[in-house]
Amino acid sequence: MNGVHDMGGLQGFGPIDREAQERVFALFFGGFAGGFYNIDMFRAEIERMPGHEYLRSSYYEHWLHAIEALLIQGGAVTHAELQARIAELQAAGRKEPH
Amino acid sequence: MPALPLEMVAPLLATGASTRMPNTEPARFKPGDVVIARNIHPINHTRLPRYVRGKRGTVRADNGTFSFNDTVAHGLGHQPQHVYSVRFSAQELWGPDASPLDSVYIDLFDRYLDPAP
Repeated sequence: MNGVHDMGGLQGFGPIDREAQERVFALFFGGFAGGFYNIDMFRAEIERMPGHEYLRSSYYEHWLHAIEALLIQGGAVTHAELQARIAELQAAGRKEPH
Repeated sequence: MPALPLEMVAPLLATGASTRMPNTEPARFKPGDVVIARNIHPINHTRLPRYVRGKRGTVRADNGTFSFNDTVAHGLGHQPQHVYSVRFSAQELWGPDASPLDSVYIDLFDRYLDPAP
């Protein structure tokens, strides 16, 4: 599909953010090994991100977006469960700032 | 999709996975052939970048036969076909101001290409 992901030749973007690479890669492989997606389904899911969200988020946030969407589609987790866990971790983070 | 058997996980992480398939399909092109990347705009996943569509390149190598990402992404089967390393000159892609010494090599599926007239 013609989307903002197809950036070959575009100018003015900075380097790739590598900070979250290890954690997100580990998540990716869990879902892949679990049979929830293949690499092409994963890439296609990233490409379906709304353009404004794609441009506002980092490279590995694109990965995380696709992993979450495909795990929800595959029935591994529900959207509500994911939101509840995020809220739980945020609350824990507020108690113990690091 | 079945889950990966546990004993396959470590080897896959160590070596990666290939989507190479048995070489059953005829090759439409050979090294040295001049081709034009199709000007197509599929609504699904594709590995054909927009900036080469409609551009003229030269086949430098036939990499062999691979599973077609565009269909695998949507559960439409492997549709195995040849993948070629195609050289596009920087001037073909970016115009006369680009360096005449530079070029871009892109691995492209058989179905993305037409013979140049």
